[in-house]
Amino acid sequence: MSALRIVCALLLALATSLPGVATAGEPAALALSGFATLGAVSSDRKDVWFTRYGVNFPGDSDPDFSPDSLIGLQASLALGPSSDVTLQVLSSETGANNYDPRVTLGFFRQTLAPGLAVRVGRLRVPFFMLSDSLYINYANPWVRPPVEVYSLNPFNDLDGIDALYHARFGATDLELHPYYGSGRIPFPDGKARLRETWGMNMVVTHGDFALHLGHGDGRFSLQRGDVQFQRFAAALQGAGLGGVVEDLSGTRGKTAFDSVGLQWDDGTWQVVGEYARRRANRYVVSAHGWYVSAGRRYGALTPYLVFARQHLERPMARLPATAPEPLPTVWEAFLRSRNNAQRSLTAGLRWDVARNAALKGELSHARPDRDAWGSYFPRSDPLGTRVGGRAINTLSVSVDVTF
Amino acid sequence: MKRALISLLAAAALITPARPAAAETVIVCAPHSPITALTRNEAEQLYLGRTRKLAGGIAVTPVDLPAGAARDHFYRQLTGKNPGQIRAYWSRLVFTGRALPPPEAASAAEALAWLDANPDFIAYLPAQEVATRNVRVLLRLP
Repeated sequence: MSALRIVCALLLALATSLPGVATAGEPAALALSGFATLGAVSSDRKDVWFTRYGVNFPGDSDPDFSPDSLIGLQASLALGPSSDVTLQVLSSETGANNYDPRVTLGFFRQTLAPGLAVRVGRLRVPFFMLSDSLYINYANPWVRPPVEVYSLNPFNDLDGIDALYHARFGATDLELHPYYGSGRIPFPDGKARLRETWGMNMVVTHGDFALHLGHGDGRFSLQRGDVQFQRFAAALQGAGLGGVVEDLSGTRGKTAFDSVGLQWDDGTWQVVGEYARRRANRYVVSAHGWYVSAGRRYGALTPYLVFARQHLERPMARLPATAPEPLPTVWEAFLRSRNNAQRSLTAGLRWDVARNAALKGELSHARPDRDAWGSYFPRSDPLGTRVGGRAINTLSVSVDVTF
Repeated sequence: MKRALISLLAAAALITPARPAAAETVIVCAPHSPITALTRNEAEQLYLGRTRKLAGGIAVTPVDLPAGAARDHFYRQLTGKNPGQIRAYWSRLVFTGRALPPPEAASAAEALAWLDANPDFIAYLPAQEVATRNVRVLLRLP
């Protein structure tokens, strides 16, 4: 990790020391670019924060700028006709409540044959149809990809290797994208890691249609270290339920991820739908989610509607019926806080105010399931605040730019 | 803050959409280039960043014109995508490091200078721009 940081810092130093101007008759070998979003979020229920689990930390101001605001800078340097290096640094609020810049891409790519390239380094893990443009909000129709699906897997970075193979059959394009590696995400007093993760993605594009299919498998560890969890774990141990604790925190998890998505964009109508499913044998819940979105362009204006749903399939563990009080009560609260199941209807408007800048506003009417927190987090008193079963309206406004 | 927002909105309202040019666009390379033929399909693959090589193994670098009507018109002719779709498509490609964007010439004249110095480059230009130039026309897009 620190080695990667050093390599990337060197690359960046090299990149910034090279003059961006081209010599006569030659374009610059170095391409510098960036993207940014300034977004504000506010909900009508003042006892909860809108939160993107695994992406940001529950807010501390209203309106909250932390769920969507980010800035990313990227440098790509062509080393020759068939190889290049790319470095991308991103600053946004993390689940550990800081804005420390982090390397989101840092890889070497070699083109081996027409349509076939291999990349090594820090890559993006393509669990979802829109994983590629996860931070590039400008490229998405909405303020953010629907949380009912995109919260199912907060791992975005992959340290490893992948291959991109592209072929064309008549008027149909096929892209195959196998990958292997590991990843981590920060959160307070704990760490989450994916190891030995491999997967395969496929995208078929035909005219205005694009079909995405993805599958990934990995070993998974989640080590919870916060005080509340320590107390809860000690109480379980005390009741002779150490086996349950082993299903809540540790390094022996296995997870599998599947997604299927469809896009249709004829230049006027833009219809997007996706289904994703996460299965895990412990530590996190197994769940699936889907969304359907439709938008229509009227010149620079694109109004859209999104309907989204996440269902809980299975909790991470079960508490034996013999457990004495107050354990069952605390257990229910623990499960609720780890269950993101909810439904939402979102109406929004995108306005392409200028080349490479979009202004977006959307209103989400969400209802977390009765036994869930959905995409919300209690502002105080996590045990006493009822989050699930209520309708919560959330307004999001953002400006996206690329440069 | 409020005033800044209002002036932003006013500025946005003043931006008028570029009128599409109805002209023919041609894809060209230098006369001494090893590229002797280019199908429409190949041109689309190159300008959508899906490949950087022709079937014969020749590496090709496509050149972009600066943002503007000629560029928007070309992409519409070649790919059928409107400027918003193309910008979203390329930002997705670029910011995942999936493809490097075509190098962008500051003008048609600079694009032609690049072709002259780099036999593996191709560029698109309005047909009237190349009528008197010494270039090899690879493809015409009506």
